[in-house]
Amino acid sequence: MSTTDVHKAVQEAVVGALGVSEDEASPDATLMDDLGAESIDLLDILFRIERSTGVKIAASDLGDYIQGGIPDDRFSDDNGIISAEGLEHLKTVMPQLDEGASLEAEHVIQHFTVQNLGDMVAQRAAAGAGA
Amino acid sequence: MSLEGRVALVTGGSRGIGRAISEALAAEGAAVAVNYRATKSGAVEVVKGITDAGGKAVAVPGDVAEYADAETMIKQTVDELGGLHILVNNAGISRDALIFNMEPNDWLDVMRVNFGGVFNCTKAALNHFMGERDGVIINVSSVMGERGWVGESNYAASKGAINSFTRCSAVELARFGVRVNAVLPGFAPTELVAGLIDKDGGKGILRQIPMRCFAQVEEVANTVVFLAGPGATYMTGALLTVDGGASTVLGVGAPL
Repeated sequence: MSTTDVHKAVQEAVVGALGVSEDEASPDATLMDDLGAESIDLLDILFRIERSTGVKIAASDLGDYIQGGIPDDRFSDDNGIISAEGLEHLKTVMPQLDEGASLEAEHVIQHFTVQNLGDMVAQRAAAGAGA
Repeated sequence: MSLEGRVALVTGGSRGIGRAISEALAAEGAAVAVNYRATKSGAVEVVKGITDAGGKAVAVPGDVAEYADAETMIKQTVDELGGLHILVNNAGISRDALIFNMEPNDWLDVMRVNFGGVFNCTKAALNHFMGERDGVIINVSSVMGERGWVGESNYAASKGAINSFTRCSAVELARFGVRVNAVLPGFAPTELVAGLIDKDGGKGILRQIPMRCFAQVEEVANTVVFLAGPGATYMTGALLTVDGGASTVLGVGAPL
């Protein structure tokens, strides 16, 4: 499956699960803030993606992917604001985020876009194909 | 046959209503995993009856009150019968007693098997059902879950829990292509309710049932087959009573 196909499949999953139009499920739309996805919607999206792409992602994987394996105490400071190290990692998985932004770790997932999810699935698909 | 190509798991499928459900699903062409906890010989007999008639069935051991067992049962069904489309949560026990005399474990045991079994097997089946976007769950509850009866507080509470859980699972799972319904039998003369008809052969109960007869286990099984099949594709969250009208009447429906 090509990267383009993966992104198409992710968009279709978002459209199908949330009942939004393809225009609304644009690459830069955030799943939670813009499209209003809740936990059951995310689950639906992930099961649809598994069905169409064969890539299995658990809802809990999303947070792990965003945080990139950086321990909590290094990902954010005592006030819950994402650290420089955290921001450095976020550039790779959520490149649309403003550099130097003051982001709360707890809320960063709300900025996760359709494009970000597509990238994640494509990465998993490539890793799976290579394994 | 309406269930050709479908695979069903029936918990507590070796006797009573569960046995009738196993046989009725098989008669409609479904391959059936007959779960049992204590009566292996019964399950083997049900399986033999189905295979002798040209159907496909396997016996699956496991205690529905244990989540690990539920997972194993689902896996064994998928491995041995090549899939899973229909889950019938039927396994149940009773420990009838007046609340005044009831031991704490009397309600806990009943709850763990009756409601716990529904929860465990439902949860264990979800990854498969949701991944396939295709699944039907039928919970065998009881009219006792909606009404009251002396000596059955623990049993009725466990069935009431099943009814609530049926509605909630229907709501949560609809968008994943999974339907969840319940059948609520009235009085069916099985071992489970033997105590109720000991006294006078059940005459005192029969007088309270508008149809004046007990449910045949096949009549309950027929409703399960209907809910599992192509005639019920728009049904989810329904609690269907199969009770000869027993729960419909006010009092006994006439002056005594």
